[in-house]
Amino acid sequence: MPVEAPYDDRLLHQRVVGGDESALGEVYDRLSSLIFGLALRVTRDRVIAEDITQEVFLVFWERPLAFDPERGTLRAWLATIAHRRAVDHVRAEERRRVSALGPRLFEREPVRLEDTVLAADEAQRVRRAVTSLPDGLREAVELAYFGGRTYRQVGEELGVPEGTAKSRIRLALRRLADALAEEEV
Amino acid sequence: MDPVERLYLDALMEDPEVPARSLRPQLLAGARARRRPAAPTAAWAEPYAGRVAAMDALLASAVDDDWSRIIVEGWTLQELVAHLAAKDGLLAASVGAPVLGPPIGAADSTSRTHDVQAYERARSPEQTRRDWRAQADALCRHLADLPPTTPATLDGLDAPVNDHILARCLETWIHTSDAAETARIRLPDPIAEHIHPTADLCARLLPFTMLFGGVDGAGRTLHLTLTGEGGGEWRVALGVEDAGPGEPDAHITADVKKFCFLLGGRGDPADFPADLEGDLALARDVLATAPALSTP
Repeated sequence: MPVEAPYDDRLLHQRVVGGDESALGEVYDRLSSLIFGLALRVTRDRVIAEDITQEVFLVFWERPLAFDPERGTLRAWLATIAHRRAVDHVRAEERRRVSALGPRLFEREPVRLEDTVLAADEAQRVRRAVTSLPDGLREAVELAYFGGRTYRQVGEELGVPEGTAKSRIRLALRRLADALAEEEV
Repeated sequence: MDPVERLYLDALMEDPEVPARSLRPQLLAGARARRRPAAPTAAWAEPYAGRVAAMDALLASAVDDDWSRIIVEGWTLQELVAHLAAKDGLLAASVGAPVLGPPIGAADSTSRTHDVQAYERARSPEQTRRDWRAQADALCRHLADLPPTTPATLDGLDAPVNDHILARCLETWIHTSDAAETARIRLPDPIAEHIHPTADLCARLLPFTMLFGGVDGAGRTLHLTLTGEGGGEWRVALGVEDAGPGEPDAHITADVKKFCFLLGGRGDPADFPADLEGDLALARDVLATAPALSTP
């Protein structure tokens, strides 16, 4: 289900397309820690993660028309690029390490990442990770993401205050992040 | 976005981290090297500078085949950029800003377009793009120090330079939209602050479009409501020699961007989406003649 980007995203996009540098600075201020956190989680290298972060925002500046606010949020679009680059980096490192060790015992298929961040098997991985969450956390995440509910609605359905629903979702996300990052490398 | 995809990205982005040092200054320096920002200019010329930057962003993603694809008027993308450069150059010449390309001979925009296109066809699309952008940016920088009321002439039309530059803004916007449509790229609108003065120019042009469209609007007044970001309300005296607007005879309500594009020759006045009130025949005449000043 496509999610249209919020008004702020559209305005920042309009400004960046119109060559307004200060809009790029605002995008950076708003999203750099998320993008850096994502790159760091995958690469586990602060210097590399900084390079990737830099590159992600430069791509948006240089090719702003590649982003389409009618097809999703800027945050998700930038995250997709960051994730793809981070994974590429990790895989290149792996290949380099393996070849430095001399003849390989086994050869990995070269990996071509799909255009979308989530190939079918990755979606499977996420679903598995969600399934393995404790019940209270799993229900909250399922309602919020697959049921499209707000924090308040999740709270109502689970019979807990909104703040509790929110913290369960955040805790669930943190656990999922750890699980997914473990598998990543 | 797919909920699984969103969940996945949200999960990966939990626990935001902060880089050891701010990458912001470095980022902005790097950005300038990758893509030129809108040229610094006077506030009243910023809508034009913004459209130039947007067109350039579109051109940045053009590959070989794109340049030879027909966009409008039987022109390829390269010829379209040459056409923009031709008209920008005439305005630049009129206010003493640098003119790139062949020396100016005949100073009407059709001949100048022909000359610049002939000259650019022998060059690479990237050279055409670079000179168009360089001339536009030089014009912007030149305007930074000029009063907005400085007289200028383009295609025999005398008007203050700020009106001419808004007309260049509208034309650049429309042709960027033409090119984006061919490339199947969704082009975001200019920001409201840039649309509004462009719409204001369009509203002020109505007495002239009526006149050139062969309809006498003298003594009649239109109430115009343009909706959407950058829109507004205008009361327009429809005769070019009218002292000022009177009580409105007709009222037109339409989308601001569609209205600007109608004056730019995009869209059919006969089925233009608008609410009409009052003297309907007059309102229809206004719409029917709206594209009268549009040129390629």
